[in-house]
Amino acid sequence: MTEVLIYIGLALIGLGAVSDLIAAIGMNRFKNFYLRLHAATIGTIWGAFVPIIGASLVAIGYEPLGYYRWFVAGAGFVAALLVLILAPAGSHALARATHRARIVRVEPCIADHLDETMCIKGGSE
Amino acid sequence: MKHAIAVLSIVLFVLAMSLLLTVAGGLYIPSISVRPLAELYLNTTYNPWNREFTALSPEGVTAIVWDYRGLDTVFETTVFYLAIIASIAIARGIRKYSALPGKELGLSLIVRTVTRITTTLIVAVAISIALHGHLTPGGGFQGGATAAVAPLLILVAFSHYFLLKRGVSKDLMLVIRSLGLAGIGIVAIATYLVAVASGLPGFVLQNQPKPLSPVNLPAYLGGQLISGTLWFFNIFEFFAVMAGFTIVFLLLAIPERIARGGGEK
Repeated sequence: MTEVLIYIGLALIGLGAVSDLIAAIGMNRFKNFYLRLHAATIGTIWGAFVPIIGASLVAIGYEPLGYYRWFVAGAGFVAALLVLILAPAGSHALARATHRARIVRVEPCIADHLDETMCIKGGSE
Repeated sequence: MKHAIAVLSIVLFVLAMSLLLTVAGGLYIPSISVRPLAELYLNTTYNPWNREFTALSPEGVTAIVWDYRGLDTVFETTVFYLAIIASIAIARGIRKYSALPGKELGLSLIVRTVTRITTTLIVAVAISIALHGHLTPGGGFQGGATAAVAPLLILVAFSHYFLLKRGVSKDLMLVIRSLGLAGIGIVAIATYLVAVASGLPGFVLQNQPKPLSPVNLPAYLGGQLISGTLWFFNIFEFFAVMAGFTIVFLLLAIPERIARGGGEK
């Protein structure tokens, strides 16, 4: 039972590492601010929330910790929940503020239903 | 060429760090013996069998901050108080003001909902840090600084007027802060006053009984360890620091049109 938990946890941590790599590539390759923000949020949800859950499961499965493994796992779950709530709110606030203040145009753009004048078709490249 | 240098420097940095970690792990071995000064603190921080020299607090840092060098910390709190007074003096002349009518305030519903959840959590954690200051790492200052993040988040997510409408104003915070500081002062001289009243020798900022002076504040309250003065110091410091930081955040968030115009007369 505990071994299954450890393997699930390790798989989640591995998934987190892969997601972080994908998010980093996205940060470098995506064309505009909003898309890069999307990649950054992938990094915080799949690259932080998921591995923290995995680490908590590993802690539950790790018998030598004894009674204290529940504290470790509980703290991990609370931290994961906070990341899950806060990261989307943060990137949402960032994207909304930049879009409303018209600091960053959307380019290349297919459709912008919030503000058509912010939409630059085709992009600069 | 630029790319090659960047890649090369990153590779060199990683290699240097790994080499440092490997070498440092082999070279620096922490010694088993404890330095005499540390031994003194470790032996007296929590030692119920040596009641005349102990602070009765398992958390060494709080014991040192509020007991061993308590006078220093009281003066630190005073310095902080004066700093806040100076920032209030800079913002003098700003009168009462209210929101411009018909303007949407605050961030979007998503951010406000998340802020509602997290501010509650922040205040709960802050109170826990302050009340457990004599048992676990933390204390009044740390708890107060954590609690001050809650009004800061509300300022950003809901606007300045949301706080003002609910009565969280500079003046109320100043009252809380002054009460907290008065509390610290009273706790600092509590044992001295008790000793004088009962005709015994006593010290200012005394926590547990000392060889010359047997008076002390109770170390246990209802069977729970509160470490005498430390618990009270932490509670009062929590309020003083929380209110002090909130004052600064409120002053920083005053809209520019009011800071220039002096507000409504």
